[in-house]
Amino acid sequence: MKRFLLKTLCILPALPALSLAAEPSQRPDLALLRKEAQAIDAHIANSLRRRQLAAPKDADDATFLRRSFLVATGRIPTFEESRAFLEINDPDKRAMLVGYLLNSPGHASHMSNWAFDLLRLTDGRVDTSATNEPYREWVREAMDQNMPWDQFTNALLASSGDGWDPQSAAVGYYTRDRGMPLDNISNTMRIFLGKRMECAQCHDDPFGTTERMDFYQLAAFTHGQEPIRRNHMAPLWRELEQGREAQGESYRLARVLWERVYGMSLQDGGEGRIQLPSDYQYRDARPGDWVGGRTPFGRTVRSSDKKSANDGRKQLADWVTRRAGDPFPAVIANRLWQRVMGTGIYEPVDEYRSPDKTHAAELLRHLSELMVRLQYDMRAFQHTLMLTRTFGFETNPEPSKIHGADDFHGRKIKRLTAEQVWDSLITLANGNPDLQPRRTADPRILVDGRPVLVGKKTMSELSREVLALESESQVREYFQRLLNEVRSGSSSSSNAPAMSMMAANRPLHRPGASDLVRASELPSPAPRGHLLYLFGQSDREVVEAASLEPNVSQVLSLLNGFVQKRLVNSPDAHLYKSLEGAANDTDRVRQLCIAILSRPPDETELPWMLQEIRDRGEEGYRNLVSALILSSEFLFLP
Amino acid sequence: MNQPFLRADEITRRHFITNAARTYLGVHLLPMLGASLAGAAPTGAAAAAKAKHVIYLFMAGGMSHLDTFDPKPKRKTVMGPTETIPTSSDDIQIGHYLSHTAKVMDECCVINSMNSKQGAHEQGSYIMHTSYNMLGTIRHPSLGSWVLKLGGRLHPELPGFVAVNTSPELTGGGFFGAKYAAAPIGNPEEGLQDCRRPAEVAEEDFARRLALADKLNRRFHERYPNTDVGSYEELYQEATRLMHSKDLAAFDLSQESQATRNLYGKGRFAQGCLLARRLVQHGVRFVEVQLGGWDTHYDNFTGVAGRCREFDQAFAALITDLKKTGKLADTLVVVATEFGRTPEIKSEHSDGRDHHPGAFSCLLAGAGIKGGMRYGETDATGNKVRKDPVSVQDFNATIAHALGLPHDLVLMSPSKRPFRMADTGKPILNVFA
Repeated sequence: MKRFLLKTLCILPALPALSLAAEPSQRPDLALLRKEAQAIDAHIANSLRRRQLAAPKDADDATFLRRSFLVATGRIPTFEESRAFLEINDPDKRAMLVGYLLNSPGHASHMSNWAFDLLRLTDGRVDTSATNEPYREWVREAMDQNMPWDQFTNALLASSGDGWDPQSAAVGYYTRDRGMPLDNISNTMRIFLGKRMECAQCHDDPFGTTERMDFYQLAAFTHGQEPIRRNHMAPLWRELEQGREAQGESYRLARVLWERVYGMSLQDGGEGRIQLPSDYQYRDARPGDWVGGRTPFGRTVRSSDKKSANDGRKQLADWVTRRAGDPFPAVIANRLWQRVMGTGIYEPVDEYRSPDKTHAAELLRHLSELMVRLQYDMRAFQHTLMLTRTFGFETNPEPSKIHGADDFHGRKIKRLTAEQVWDSLITLANGNPDLQPRRTADPRILVDGRPVLVGKKTMSELSREVLALESESQVREYFQRLLNEVRSGSSSSSNAPAMSMMAANRPLHRPGASDLVRASELPSPAPRGHLLYLFGQSDREVVEAASLEPNVSQVLSLLNGFVQKRLVNSPDAHLYKSLEGAANDTDRVRQLCIAILSRPPDETELPWMLQEIRDRGEEGYRNLVSALILSSEFLFLP
Repeated sequence: MNQPFLRADEITRRHFITNAARTYLGVHLLPMLGASLAGAAPTGAAAAAKAKHVIYLFMAGGMSHLDTFDPKPKRKTVMGPTETIPTSSDDIQIGHYLSHTAKVMDECCVINSMNSKQGAHEQGSYIMHTSYNMLGTIRHPSLGSWVLKLGGRLHPELPGFVAVNTSPELTGGGFFGAKYAAAPIGNPEEGLQDCRRPAEVAEEDFARRLALADKLNRRFHERYPNTDVGSYEELYQEATRLMHSKDLAAFDLSQESQATRNLYGKGRFAQGCLLARRLVQHGVRFVEVQLGGWDTHYDNFTGVAGRCREFDQAFAALITDLKKTGKLADTLVVVATEFGRTPEIKSEHSDGRDHHPGAFSCLLAGAGIKGGMRYGETDATGNKVRKDPVSVQDFNATIAHALGLPHDLVLMSPSKRPFRMADTGKPILNVFA
């Protein structure tokens, strides 16, 4: 009977992979992950025993379901997904659910939001037409492919080359911060190694051990982040810039080359040495002195102060991922623990603490080792955590008893992130949002926002050609030819089929702010005024700047805004469609409650919910939908 | 629960008595406020205070002091292409990007001696907004929240604190909770979104929705008694009060004449300034408007010119307009930023300037501030403060003083740690007329 029910459910299109049978073989073995999960549970059990605390009970199915969806895919389940899970009677269904979710496209979308916050990934840049979109697409693809964290880190930190080439688009990690390489290296240390060095940018850190010299020795590795061969264009650019008004069209086209081609490229591999700033204030060196690279901890890597090494970024990347020691695996392990379990083993997660200085030394060491054993497979690591009993503990409404750390004593309640709120609302409006294609970077050549040479040349082709030019005269010649092509092509391109040239690529998919697609596919960050902004989406100017703080505008948007317009009052909303098969009011009310809160109403709720329908008829349903979404239960992750 | 924390509101009325007692008698009437007050500077501000409102304009990214309010006309190497222009005050010269602003400098006090130790954006903007260093373990309330907490709101229904185009991290209520957080506005043209009951929802149904949600919430709250959850429930009352307010027009820029709108100019910041003026006219206590993009590491002079185009006309219009409507008398206008920028011009970054917390400039105007005045001084290159240094905390204490609020009143966080609006800062009394 049980097997039969499972089989039936697997036919439901919404849950194609609930049968784990079809797991591709290269994925880590489930049995192994289970064993690892048990080892983690043993650590937690020890910790609770030491503190003479009883192990929390297991959360009920509905809570587990909602939690798992929100944690793994960043959205609530659809009615169909909830029903399937709640009605199956299989002892292994929780593990099956977790496997299904982590291998769904929703997981990659959810991880992309996380990566965008971490990397401060905005689409545009201030005061330049250069864009981060190819870089964004690179990160998005890496999340889709579940690129191991060490490879991901390495690819970013050692990047070099053409910003439009998908192979090297990771250069956006540096070009995003063009002109502020010192902030960039501070962020690198914070993101990947949990070291805060921004103070030492200007002075010895009075509270820590980092000296300003240490900072510069580290910055030496990434010094020299010039665009590729832009000097060949500099004379032409200066001429055109001075005559900005007179040479309108050629200036605008030159700007594409200067900012969007050269400006997004990264030359060479990093000098490995740097000059001390003019306000260098300590006795160990003078301002203007060259210093070579030297890494501050772990296995030391050095580079010469005498000549450019030209592989500084590669050396840095290698040090961070292979020689910096425990911080590299420990920081990502704790970041992912926080993501899955709700609270970091220690917090803030971007200030590394050696295991001995935490209340969970053994567990932390164990998790670092596990991260290495799993070869930095982030999905497998999260899978392991979600298979633990600890993940399935009942909710504990009390804040953690241990200051700035997880006390492991039941899951702590937390408001959904802006992205989780949005992705859940669009699920109610449109059903499973992961059936839609991913956002693409705009491959067209845009001159002041207007596409040119459509069907003839893409931005990546242009970039490849321009970056290959080897002298000033070649640049001038190329530019003149390009200008002629644009001038002669501008009339004919207007009636060329808009995107026919995209054949080699995926079709152009660029949702706007009002489209009901995943937060990860909207402009980054969403425009101010968007529901994502109101609920505290990071502006992606500083690392992990998202906010969970409540404010009155959020409540207004739930009461009268987006929710009323796109859901409550929209007969086409997916959530009403799920009612079509229901036999009577009781069924309909039950289904609405499951669709929105992932659980049926209990015996005290059902009568007054039904009363509402009796009192107000059709409008009663709308009132009920509105109230369910307004409820704290909707907004908080249990 | 923590009594002193919860009762802070009730005691705001009484704090004037407390302050008076502290100033004149040297004793505390409310022992729970803590002994740490003993050494604090006398406030005595209540009587002198003229400000009822604050319009806080935050230049995010680090506004170059040299190219704006602290130019060094004799030092070409420091100034690059920036030129210096005279203003309506004989004592003040400013960068040439600010020709409109120059005309209202007789209303403004420039503080040239701001300095801090926070040279990174996140930490720098955080301390400007909260008076405290960023910590991983506590979120401090922002200035607007402090003003609400200590001074109360002026209008019973409109939000006391509104933030236009800001980062949510910087305008939160911190440990004071959601009641003290800013109502965020993304686009001033759209005003406060969704603040009216949709036409298709009858009054009765609206009430029913809230009643149903309340039932659900009670159940949830019983199951999970949690303060974060509770603060959302409070917000529903707040939201419905607001929706029923007769003064919602405060948020509606379309009620301004085209002439007034043109006076401020186009753009989000300009219209944000206009909205700020409307809001204080209607009784909003604290309005913050952000103008980003000042992080001019790369090609500083193009960057500054661009930012000043957004700022200049709008700021001048705001001062002029407030003056015309009589609101400048009780509105403190603040221009703040997280740090300045280096005198050194980095040619390898297309003439960029890096962060420079050692010296930067802020501005105060209105509400009893002396106009046409410069306070503090930097050295010949704008590198270091030479005279009358002003710390971030002093600056915030000055804002509190202008409002007659006790910047040194200790309030306890729920974790039972003592905090003050301006930490240990002392107001600069010389800037008041």
